[in-house]
Amino acid sequence: MTGRIEDRREEWDGPVPVPTGATAPFWAGTLEGELRYQACDCGHRQLYPRAVCTACGAEDPPFEASEGVGTIYTYTVCHVPGEPGFAERTPYVVGAIDLAEGPRLLALLDAEPDDLEIGAAVGVRFWQVSEDAAIPVFVPE
Amino acid sequence: MAEPILAGVAESDLGETPDRNWLDNAAVATVRALEDAGCSLDEVDGVAVAGGDDYMPALVLSEYLDLDEPSFLEGTEIGGSSFEHFCGHVRDAMARDEADVVVVAYGSTSKTGPGRDQSLEETHPIDGFVRPTGLFRPPGAYAMAARRHMHEYGTTEEQLAEVAVATREWAAMNPKAAQREPITVDDVLESREIAEPFNLLDCCLVSDGGGAVVLVSEEKAAELGVPEIAVAGVASTSTHRQDVSEMPDMTTTGAAVTGPKAFDQAGITHDDVDVAEIYDSFTYTALVTLEDLGFCEKGEGGEFVSGGTTAPGGELPMNTQGGGLSYCHPGHFGVFVLIEAARQLRGDYEGDRQVDDAEVAVAHGTGGLLSSSSTVVLRRES
Ligand SMILES: [Zn+2]
Repeated sequence: MTGRIEDRREEWDGPVPVPTGATAPFWAGTLEGELRYQACDCGHRQLYPRAVCTACGAEDPPFEASEGVGTIYTYTVCHVPGEPGFAERTPYVVGAIDLAEGPRLLALLDAEPDDLEIGAAVGVRFWQVSEDAAIPVFVPE
Repeated sequence: MAEPILAGVAESDLGETPDRNWLDNAAVATVRALEDAGCSLDEVDGVAVAGGDDYMPALVLSEYLDLDEPSFLEGTEIGGSSFEHFCGHVRDAMARDEADVVVVAYGSTSKTGPGRDQSLEETHPIDGFVRPTGLFRPPGAYAMAARRHMHEYGTTEEQLAEVAVATREWAAMNPKAAQREPITVDDVLESREIAEPFNLLDCCLVSDGGGAVVLVSEEKAAELGVPEIAVAGVASTSTHRQDVSEMPDMTTTGAAVTGPKAFDQAGITHDDVDVAEIYDSFTYTALVTLEDLGFCEKGEGGEFVSGGTTAPGGELPMNTQGGGLSYCHPGHFGVFVLIEAARQLRGDYEGDRQVDDAEVAVAHGTGGLLSSSSTVVLRRES
């Protein structure tokens, strides 16, 4: 699945990811609308990307594309901005998303707080925030 | 095994210390704690320090105090639980006769010091996954864990608020506490929203300040003639670091591991515990830690803290100085739970603030984003 990419480079003044080392393939994927996770030959799946598999120790476990869907494990509605560039955005929602493939990641939830609940299905979109990266953002399915 | 004796404790000035840096506060707390122990600076042969703004804090503090070739140096940084963690290392060092007098110190200027580095330059691969979410950490991270707990166990915002209310009752009796006005559950629920489900009064305050404890060998304690407050059990662990997304289960902390180990070492059960000093960076931190330490069943923390269980006169006096929620919180609160536990066991207070005949105290530190956990059992030897 390919998630829709919205170009937010003009308006984004929050932190931007800096692709380095093991994370570079992940961020390259986001520019193609693909949410990648590491799927080791041993069967273990992980995010954030690392130079080793935390299950078997294999170096540079390969990436696979996620379907880009998952469920909300938990979330918070932020009334106080935690980073530069977020003051105008409050209140905004940050969730911990369990991808269907297993890995969990933190992400912005682009939704009204009242529409959210733990366990709800969400799908990924991408906001391109720099030349090098688009951040995954989830919306209710 | 020989048990270190907690011979002296002290805070530096708390609140706002614009004319002091972290090191000044750590050093002031240290000399006050030494005075409390009846011990001189030149008797110190070990230093354990965490936090602060320096890369090598143990070296910096040793130099600042002009220690004469200390034999024990410890600067492990595991956040707010570092000081409880140090107690185990000090015990080991003393068992090897490496040191007789160790200061465990902390200082900060969290309130008036320079702000947090807002540089966007990546320092760790996970930063690109966390910082662009804008999550206000630590409150937002703890709030996410609290919401999951509410979802799984039916814990309510009112129950979380009960922790803050009981803690404020203790703070009202502590002249050093920053916030002493009584509050109600409604006050907590109506205070400014920070990161749902947390309101302002679910969150610890931010202050400057430092604290120190002096740990000495049994022989040294006998020489000093101090009350024998022994480190009877200590255990540490971590579950993750960078963010709560890496926490295996947001409703269970490392205290579920460290509590049983420390209790077992000390040979105590929950019924033996007279006073609990439990890291309370947020209301949820204390609630989930009480569960994980086994003071109630998993999921029943909300019920346990309701109705004044941890308030003055309650079944389990907790955070009897007012905690991080009302007394002070200069970043790493862990040293202050040790200080208060020792004072309760020594019987330093009068009236309602003193827990009657306190012989066993649990001091628990939490660090990072619910990431590290260290439990210490202190026992007054009769
Ligand atoms: Zn593997």
